[in-house]
Amino acid sequence: MYELGEAALKLATSEGAEEAEVYVQTNYSTSSDVRNNKIESAKEQKVEGIGIRAIINGSVGFASTNISSKVEEAVRRAVSSARVRENDPDWQALPSNSKYPKVRGIMDENIKFMELETSLELTNQMIRSVDELDGVDVTSGSFSRSYGKKLIMNTNGVNVFEEETLVSGFVDTIARASNPSNISTAYDFQISRNLDIDIHNIGKNAAQLALKSQNGESITSQKTDIILHPFAITDLLESSFVPSLNSDNVQKGRSSLKGKIGEKIGSEELSIIDSGLLDNGINTSICDDEGSASKETKIIENGIFNSYLYDSYTAGKESTESTSNSTRSSYNMIPNIAPRNFILKYPQSNVVEETADGIYITSLIGAHTANSISGDFSVEARNAFTIKNGEISKPIKSVMISGNIFELLQKISGAGFDVRLVGGTVTPSIKLTDMKVIGS
Amino acid sequence: MSQIDFFDARIIEGTVTAITLDNGDVDDISINFSQGASVRALCHGSWGFTSIEGEIELNNALNSAKELAYKMNSYSPKDKIELASIEDPKIENLPTIKINPNDISIAEKVSLLKDIEKNARVNGVKSTSLMYAESQVKLEYTNSEGIDCEYESVRTGFAISAIASENDQYQVGRESRFGIHGYEIFDLHDAYDLAQNAGNTAVDLLSAKQPPGGTLPVILDPELAGVFVHEAVGHASEADLVQEGSSVLKGKIGESVASSIVNVIDDPTLHEYGYYPFDSEGAQAKKNNIIKDGVLNSFLHSRETAHELGGRPGNCRSQGYSTPIVRMSNTYIENGDSNFDEMVEMINDGIYLSGSRGGQVNTGEGIFQFNAEKGYLIENGEITDLLKNVSLSGNTLDILNNVELVGNDLKMHSGRCGKNGQLIPVADGSPHIFVSQALVGGD
Repeated sequence: MYELGEAALKLATSEGAEEAEVYVQTNYSTSSDVRNNKIESAKEQKVEGIGIRAIINGSVGFASTNISSKVEEAVRRAVSSARVRENDPDWQALPSNSKYPKVRGIMDENIKFMELETSLELTNQMIRSVDELDGVDVTSGSFSRSYGKKLIMNTNGVNVFEEETLVSGFVDTIARASNPSNISTAYDFQISRNLDIDIHNIGKNAAQLALKSQNGESITSQKTDIILHPFAITDLLESSFVPSLNSDNVQKGRSSLKGKIGEKIGSEELSIIDSGLLDNGINTSICDDEGSASKETKIIENGIFNSYLYDSYTAGKESTESTSNSTRSSYNMIPNIAPRNFILKYPQSNVVEETADGIYITSLIGAHTANSISGDFSVEARNAFTIKNGEISKPIKSVMISGNIFELLQKISGAGFDVRLVGGTVTPSIKLTDMKVIGS
Repeated sequence: MSQIDFFDARIIEGTVTAITLDNGDVDDISINFSQGASVRALCHGSWGFTSIEGEIELNNALNSAKELAYKMNSYSPKDKIELASIEDPKIENLPTIKINPNDISIAEKVSLLKDIEKNARVNGVKSTSLMYAESQVKLEYTNSEGIDCEYESVRTGFAISAIASENDQYQVGRESRFGIHGYEIFDLHDAYDLAQNAGNTAVDLLSAKQPPGGTLPVILDPELAGVFVHEAVGHASEADLVQEGSSVLKGKIGESVASSIVNVIDDPTLHEYGYYPFDSEGAQAKKNNIIKDGVLNSFLHSRETAHELGGRPGNCRSQGYSTPIVRMSNTYIENGDSNFDEMVEMINDGIYLSGSRGGQVNTGEGIFQFNAEKGYLIENGEITDLLKNVSLSGNTLDILNNVELVGNDLKMHSGRCGKNGQLIPVADGSPHIFVSQALVGGD
C-alpha cells in the first residue's frame, strides 16, 4: 500500500502537480442473503483501489483505478485534468500532517476473522425468531460483515492508515392475509462496528411490526401530534435538512441556512452534534477522508444554529477550520461533504405515554423526493398507528405528512428513550406538536 | 467439488469520465479505469457469489464461489434450484456510436458545457450545476454450459439543474438526457434549450401555489406516468419479488389488474438507456408484455424464477461486479388513442402533474409515493395555476384501474433504478394518462 501510494505521489509531482493526494482502500466483506424464510446464498466481495487528487493553481483533477497497471495512467490523467480547469484562487491547501485523536470501538477482531459458518449461524438466528410467530414470513434479509483498511497520503505530509470493521443485519417481513388489502409489511435492521448487535430481535421486531400493522384503518386529515421512530426522523433529516448544512451548498447559494448562524432554528431544548469521535460510531475514524483530524462540531445548541459542515477547501474559502467532514463512499469517488456521526439530543421521556391523541410513524416512503434546499417534504408514512390516551392504539392504512423541515425542527417537543444507530445518525424517537397529516 | 451444478462469470472492463460545472466553473473532472469479475456457483439449492476487482484471477474466484455454495448447501440444505434453459444469444442490431467520446478532448467538452450552462441563467436563477458523464463498458459472459458472449456499450448523458430563490424560498428546475449514444447526444437533444427550460421552471415555481390535498382526478404527464409504471407496476412484476411474496401482483397472471386500455411493456431491445443484447446470465433480451389489455400477462424473470414460476428469462441484471438480480430495462405504457386536450376537458376540479422528483414503492402492499416536479390546477376543463410540491400516493392497483384515458404521445425518459443497493441504467415512459381519482398531497 505505502509503496504504491508513494510512487503515485512522486509521479504526480514530477508530472507537474503542486500538491497531490492518494487514497488507497481495501475492503473484504462476506454476506448471506435470505429470501422466503431461507438462507439462499453466500457472498464474498473484495474491493481494492486507489483515488488520486492532483492540484495545480488550486485546480483539482481526480482519477481512480483498481487496476495496478493503470495507476500511472490514472495519475497522469489526474494531473492533466487539473490543467484543464481554471485556476481557483480560493484553494488553500490539502490538509497537513497533524496530531490525530485516539478513537475507540471501530475495529473488532471477531468480525475481521469471522468464519462463514459463524456468519451463517448468526443469519439463522436473525430469521428463526420470525418462525415463533404465526402468519408472518421473512421475504428477504441479509447479514453482512466487513473489514476494511484505508491509507491516505499527501504531499503535505499526511500519512494515515486505519482499519475498521462493520456488521449489519436486516429483515423484511410480510404478514399474510386472505384479503390482499390487509397484507402488511415491515422491516428492521441493526448496524454496528462490533459484534454487539441484538441479532435475535431484528427478525422478531420486524415480524411483530408487520402483524401489528395489519387491518389498518382510514383516518381523516387533521392537525395532530406525531411521534417519529428513529428510522423516520433519520430518513427525513437526511433528505431535507442535512444538504443545507453542507458549506459548499451554503457558499454556492443553495442552502436555506445561509446567514442563519446564531439564529434559533430549532425548539429550545434541541441540540445536534456532528462527531467523528463517537465511541463505536459508524462514521468514527481518527480523521476524515482527506486526512483532517476528526473532531466534534455543535451544529445546533439549545435550538441555536451554530455551525455548517466543512472540508479543508470550503473552510479555506471562509478562513475558518475544517470540521473534518470530507467523505468518500469509495476510492473512486471525489470526496464531498457529509456528516460523520450525526447525533440528535433532546430531553428524554415516555413520549407515547405523554401523548393523549396522536400518530406514531415507524418509517417513511418517499423522503428522498423532498426539496433538499427549501426543506419542503410530502411523504407517505408506513407502519403508522394512532395513539390514544398514552397508548399505541390502531394501525393506520394510509397517511401522508407534508411540511417543511425547518418548521418541523421548531415543533420538536419530546424525545423517547429508544436511541438507535440508524447508520451514522444517532437519535431517539422524536415527538412533534401540531403537524399536518393527510388521511384517505 | 463434484456437487457443483452450475457456474458462470461476468468479466467487466470499463472507463467512466465525468465533468461537473458549478455556477459555470469546472467543479470536478474525474476519470475511472476499472476491471473486475463476478462469479456464481450453484450447489443443489445454494448459491455462492464472489466478486473481485483489479487483476482478475478467475480460477481463484471460481473456486471461492464453489466453496461458498458447497458450504452453504451443507449448512442449510434446500430444494434443488433448476435454471430455465437458454441458448447462445444472438447479438444483432447493436446501437451504433456516431461520435466516439474519446475523440473529443476534455477541454472541448468543458467549453461546450460552459456554453450550455449560460442558457440556464435566466433572470431569477441564482445558481446552476451541470453534469456530463460518459462510460464505455465491455462485458464478457461465460458459463459452465458453454455459453460465451460479449458486447461493448457506450453511454453518455448530461443533467442540468437551476436554482431560483427569493425571500428564503428556493425552487429547482432540472432537465436531463442520457442515452446509449456517443458524443452525438448533443446533436440528438438541444441542450441549450433544455438548460433554458430548467432555468424557467425554477423561476416559475417561485410564484407557484401549494396544491389542494385530497382525492382528485389527475392527469400524469409522460415522465411522471413513466415513473409510476416503473415504480409501481414494473417492480411488482419482478419475479424474485413475486416469489418471495413481496408483490401485490402475486398469483394474478391472467387476471384483470388494470383498466382494459392499459398495456405495459418492458423491452430491453429498444435503443433506449436500459438497452442490452443479453442479460447478466447470457439470456437473449426480449420484449415482454407485462400487462395486456388490462390483464396481467407476464412477470420479468431470471433463469431461476423463469423455471420456478414459468416464464422466459432475460431480465437478470447487475451493477458492476454485483450479484445479478431480476430487473427492468425499458418499461413503458403503450400508446392509446386519446389526446391531452380531451383529458383536460373532462376535469372540473383536478390536477395535471408534470415531471418527476423520484418516487418509492412498497411492492408487497402495493403502496407508492412520488413527487412531481410541478403541477397545474385544472378548473372547469382548463389549465390554470402553477403548483409546487405536488406529490401523489396511493395503491398501485387502484390507480391502474382508475386509468380512464391513455394518450397517444409516448415519450421515454432515462434514469437509474436502485434495487438491493445496485443502480442500473433504465428508461421508462408513457403517453399522458388520465386517472379518475388519486390521493394528492398538499395543503
